[in-house]
Amino acid sequence: MRSPRTLEVWKLGTVNYLKSLKLQDRLVSERKANLIPDTVLSLQHPPTYTLGKRRTDHNLLIPEAELTRIGAELHYTQRGGDITFHGPHQAILYPIISLRSIGIGARNYVETLERSMIEFASIYGVKARAGHKGETGVWVGDRKIGAIGVRISSGITCHGLALNIDPDLKYFEHIVPCGIADKEVTSLRKETDTVLPSEEVIHEQLVSCLAKAFSYDDVVWKEDPLVILDTQEHNK
Amino acid sequence: MALRMWASSTANALKLSSSASKSHLLPAFSISRCFSSVLEGLKYANSHEWVKHEGSVATIGITDHAQGHLGEVVFVELPEEKSAVSKEKNFGAVESVKATSEILSPISGEVIEVNTKLTDSPGLINSSPYEDGWMIKVKPSNPAELESLMGPKEYTKFCEEEDAAH
Repeated sequence: MRSPRTLEVWKLGTVNYLKSLKLQDRLVSERKANLIPDTVLSLQHPPTYTLGKRRTDHNLLIPEAELTRIGAELHYTQRGGDITFHGPHQAILYPIISLRSIGIGARNYVETLERSMIEFASIYGVKARAGHKGETGVWVGDRKIGAIGVRISSGITCHGLALNIDPDLKYFEHIVPCGIADKEVTSLRKETDTVLPSEEVIHEQLVSCLAKAFSYDDVVWKEDPLVILDTQEHNK
Repeated sequence: MALRMWASSTANALKLSSSASKSHLLPAFSISRCFSSVLEGLKYANSHEWVKHEGSVATIGITDHAQGHLGEVVFVELPEEKSAVSKEKNFGAVESVKATSEILSPISGEVIEVNTKLTDSPGLINSSPYEDGWMIKVKPSNPAELESLMGPKEYTKFCEEEDAAH
């Protein structure tokens, strides 16, 4: 009989991208040293474009100088995947979990992230599917509703998934999203007529789908984001 | 040829089977290495890298089990020649299914050669993880580190146990 597995959830509200990277770095070290359980950050970002390890900046279609004018930041990261946009009304989850303790690898992990988003979409009657080969992510028909970009160091994950609830899709026009030129980006808002509940409820549902997909026995919710982030500032 | 046939029947006798994930380990290859010389055997790290130690050169790559769990590799980042690698520290990364996974070195030493073919053909890691998909060649600074690595039998068992945890 295996011991019960707990997932700790940090509800952080809107967080600046760099701050979230620093927090993830700290949590990855702590998870590696077994100081914390598997943890997932539930948050949103202000308008931010990010690139992955392959630095595919040819997929940014406007000059960097323009970004300030439209109120967006650009960051280079070590995650997998191509260029993407994060912004208000897009639900982001950054699971910091130990893949070795559940005996899975990158492919299985990413497929489970996809399943979490598909399950979540089905709550609203939206039939989403995993991407075809080379198109990791979650799609409704040929429209992309959820993106994935992950980094795994010593078997601990960071970065994660982004699901479009109702972001301003115009921001995606300034990039070739995920390097795929001929496909649309969509959102939950566009794909369903159902009245959407508050964003807090939506984030909780998404987290619950993730917890279920990874077979966690317990979910512990932590709030007071200011306290969490302030603690980090003092420890810097 | 005779050595391979002997090796494969030995593998059967030892009931050396592939791990639960169904990825194959090329047992004939690893057993022949293991039995022909202990020093020349493939050794394995618990982070799924292999080392082939021949004289003063150690070749490093990732195992068949690792490549199967990664999915199709689309990008490989490797260190420069003359850079140092340290045991259990990362020396590079591979990207597959939108995930970058760090690769850890099983031993410490100096990088003397890097497999540049992987830049244009990262998929060699999937199709030939123990041969054409080799990643770096290292001059070991502390050959004793090889002793603490797993042999083929231990590694097979390790993979089975890891997969069973899922």
